[in-house]
Amino acid sequence: MKKPDLKKLKEVDFKKAARDFVYGKPHGERRLGDLYIPKTGLYKHREWRGIKDTMYYFNNIWLYNYGMIVRDLMVYGGGPKGAIQFLKGTWRYRWMGQTYLTVMHWFDRCLEGMRGEALQASAWHFRGITSACLYQITGWFNRDANIGGDPALRAKTLGTDETVWGGIIYPYMDQGAMYLPTQMIPYFVTCHCNNHTVLNYIDAVQAYGLPGDPCPMCQAEAGLYIADDIPDSYVAMVTTNEACDSSVGTSIIQDWMMNKPLFAMPQVMQFDDDSVLENCAKEIEMAWRFTEEQLGVEFHWDELVKHIKLQNQQNQFEREKWDVAANTHSYPINGVAQALYRIFYSQYGERPFWHDVDKKVRKIMEKCVNEDINTFPMTRHRVIAWSCAPLYYSAWCTWAYNCWGLNTIINMDSLMFDLDIRTDTYENCLLDIAKYHEWAPMRRMAVGGLQHIFELWENMEKFNCDMVMMYDQLQCKGMQGVVGLFEDEFRARNIHAIWMPHALPDKRTVPRSQIRQIINDYMFTVMGEEPLDPSLLDFDDSDSW
Amino acid sequence: MFGKKKKTSIITKVIGTAVGVYAGLFCVFYFDLDGKLLYYVVEPFMKKHFDNMERRDPHTVPYDLIDTEYMQKK
Repeated sequence: MKKPDLKKLKEVDFKKAARDFVYGKPHGERRLGDLYIPKTGLYKHREWRGIKDTMYYFNNIWLYNYGMIVRDLMVYGGGPKGAIQFLKGTWRYRWMGQTYLTVMHWFDRCLEGMRGEALQASAWHFRGITSACLYQITGWFNRDANIGGDPALRAKTLGTDETVWGGIIYPYMDQGAMYLPTQMIPYFVTCHCNNHTVLNYIDAVQAYGLPGDPCPMCQAEAGLYIADDIPDSYVAMVTTNEACDSSVGTSIIQDWMMNKPLFAMPQVMQFDDDSVLENCAKEIEMAWRFTEEQLGVEFHWDELVKHIKLQNQQNQFEREKWDVAANTHSYPINGVAQALYRIFYSQYGERPFWHDVDKKVRKIMEKCVNEDINTFPMTRHRVIAWSCAPLYYSAWCTWAYNCWGLNTIINMDSLMFDLDIRTDTYENCLLDIAKYHEWAPMRRMAVGGLQHIFELWENMEKFNCDMVMMYDQLQCKGMQGVVGLFEDEFRARNIHAIWMPHALPDKRTVPRSQIRQIINDYMFTVMGEEPLDPSLLDFDDSDSW
Repeated sequence: MFGKKKKTSIITKVIGTAVGVYAGLFCVFYFDLDGKLLYYVVEPFMKKHFDNMERRDPHTVPYDLIDTEYMQKK
């Protein structure tokens, strides 16, 4: 047996080691990059965050969420039958069987380095997202004709573009009607959770003859249908032109491959013109009539009002969160949790699981404010992230905080749906619903007119941010058109902005390591700063989820 | 039903098993064994399965439109 090196043992500061064990290492000493197994993104071991936070992560996040996944499957799936449908779906669809099983690593990536209330509140957001995903996954599989799903459930189900707001189904929810956004679970969330899968769909549609330069998001969405990897779970489809004409191309392929009754619900691009609002409202009414005809349901005004009021409550809480984020150092939600949770619930629509999460988060946030807790104590710069984010690297904000102290306070997509829908009269309600639709993701600011994409400046001031992370979606023709204008404004306003090139779901175009390198270069050369955790500057996660 | 000694022994065994399971789960968590199993075993297996799955040829899908009564009215 090798003798212990007494000299080395003497050098160990046992007091400090004990303190690190109990409380976790201070930020500058963590060396989180050393935990990775090269290429894979797996951990040699998960981070030791001190006794309290490690046990919180183990019990209240890792164990709890694995348990709640099983619980959700049983509850949403309707018992053992639903569990069998889930297994069949896992075996049939790549986006499920190869992707979502890795969900807890998604938590890990997004919560790295978090401590205390920031860890807790951010994790609750992911719990909400996971629950919403399982609600939809069981919805897909219980109805799916490809795996023996229930035709009676299918007959009450409307498929939609994911940019059709889920509120379209509110008037019919008491009659068992369900809304399934056709891209949200099979495509959008997969990219965040495990970005290996989506590449199959991009390649499938290009192999079919589509050129490689359209928006890769729309390519992947269409590829799901070309690759025959979409459940047959709905009786009719409502599509929209949101966010752009590439999305219309997706709808054409979806319609072709599924061959279901389809209603196209166009929404205007230049939504400032109020004269077109009534036209949008009429389109929504026609979509309702289509739904009633296809699903055999009736319009229930009271049901619509009930859900809109609950949705307005969610929006009002969101504003309270923004207020805390903008004006205090006690906002307990990290950049990626804030962004994904907000876009998911505001697009999918009101459901009970969001309210459960909001209650927990409110409690944590109030504690932070009352006790003046600095939730992100190593913040050097308050960052606003603008334009559309890289889906395969939504956890970049967690990395940027750990490595450089760049704290992402708010992002563009979170600000889109800031509208309380009126319920005093049918007419007012309908006009507000039309407005809400016009403000769809990637439309409200990104391609809704120059004055809207330039809302960056007022939001930068409102949220007290001193730096911009400017997303540069290389295949978005709309946003590519304003790069030069932004460059001019950044210079004129003397704003620190880092351009982050990416191709939404496709990590092959701009790898994550390149994104990190761009930020590193800016921080070293322009800002003249040193990293908080040098081990995170450069590491190989090229094959990671 | 059980003697005091037997009862104590059962309780000790139950607690011991629970502690053992808990400690085992903590090891799975801490050493990222769930991630390693999924990455090195489950995902490659599922990938192979999906790569070999027979799929519908999209070229065989006719380009017909369903013209419902509703769309005709529109």
